[in-house]
Amino acid sequence: MTLIRQIHPNSERMEDVPKNDFWQKWFQLYGPRLLLCARQWTRSASDAEDVVQEAFVRFWRHQRGLPGEPMALLVTSVRRAALDLARRDGRRALREERARNGPEDQVALFENPFAGEERRVAIEDALRRLPSEQREVLVLKIWGELTFEQIAAELSLSPNTAAARYRYALAALRHELAAADCHG
Amino acid sequence: MDDELQQLEAELKRLRPVAPSPELFRRVTSDLAPASRCERRANIPWLWAAVLPAAAAAVAIIFLPIARHDPTPQIEPATPPKVAATAATVMTSGEVLKPVAVENVLYSAQDEGLVTLDDGTPARRERLNYVDTITWKNPRTNASLTWQVPREEVRVVPVSFQ
Repeated sequence: MTLIRQIHPNSERMEDVPKNDFWQKWFQLYGPRLLLCARQWTRSASDAEDVVQEAFVRFWRHQRGLPGEPMALLVTSVRRAALDLARRDGRRALREERARNGPEDQVALFENPFAGEERRVAIEDALRRLPSEQREVLVLKIWGELTFEQIAAELSLSPNTAAARYRYALAALRHELAAADCHG
Repeated sequence: MDDELQQLEAELKRLRPVAPSPELFRRVTSDLAPASRCERRANIPWLWAAVLPAAAAAVAIIFLPIARHDPTPQIEPATPPKVAATAATVMTSGEVLKPVAVENVLYSAQDEGLVTLDDGTPARRERLNYVDTITWKNPRTNASLTWQVPREEVRVVPVSFQ
């Protein structure tokens, strides 16, 4: 834990990570973004953490030597784990029950930005109101740092469709935020 | 994209997703500890010395009631408990788990700086976090049991300034 906190936050670039470094550095680098991606495909924050755990452990044990962008591999692993989780009906029912009993889905997506807490909340609310197919493209592009080609491959779309959804998502987000500013 | 959308895009990129919880980090640590190759030290005599008696005591506690089990119980002599019978079979067939590996993985280390001991001696304090893993194996069936324990170690090393 301590080691993680000591890593400089500005080192969040994939090319800065040595191939054979300890997994803690990888987790510090990719963990927050993977968690955000996972939350697009799961019903609660705790489900997302389960999914990230499964995907990261699988990646670290079996896939980190594979060619390609680590983040793209990790996102694929996260998505598969999320789909697997969704198929486990009994567990899903339990999670849904837990979600109904608490405000788990309202867990913050982002840390407090310099712009302020109010703006963060407005952005998160606007994100949550986006259609899921637009939101997942936006999240994968902005915070997953995937290319449209990688997003297209991940979601079985054409790159043009991925790019279009991204533009729609940004426009919808701008509209939502403008409306929130007017009301508030 | 127009300028306004580009500004929004830039604003979104500045937002930092929340970090995973310490609990998730602990779980991943636990999952990856046996596979990790970092700072591994095997065959630590003191750990064996601590673990083996504990394991022996645990086995003794589990099987002692079975050893004392009366073959002709007074209440229901015709139906001895199934669990006892199964366990006794395990005992008599020689299926014993044997310790085969011990390792400890250092996953974080923090130098907490200088402290002053009670006698006024300056010392340096270090806090180290390990995950200890002990593996038992049944050589006949290849069944294995792995035990992982997180451990925090604080070292106080006296220093002298010359």
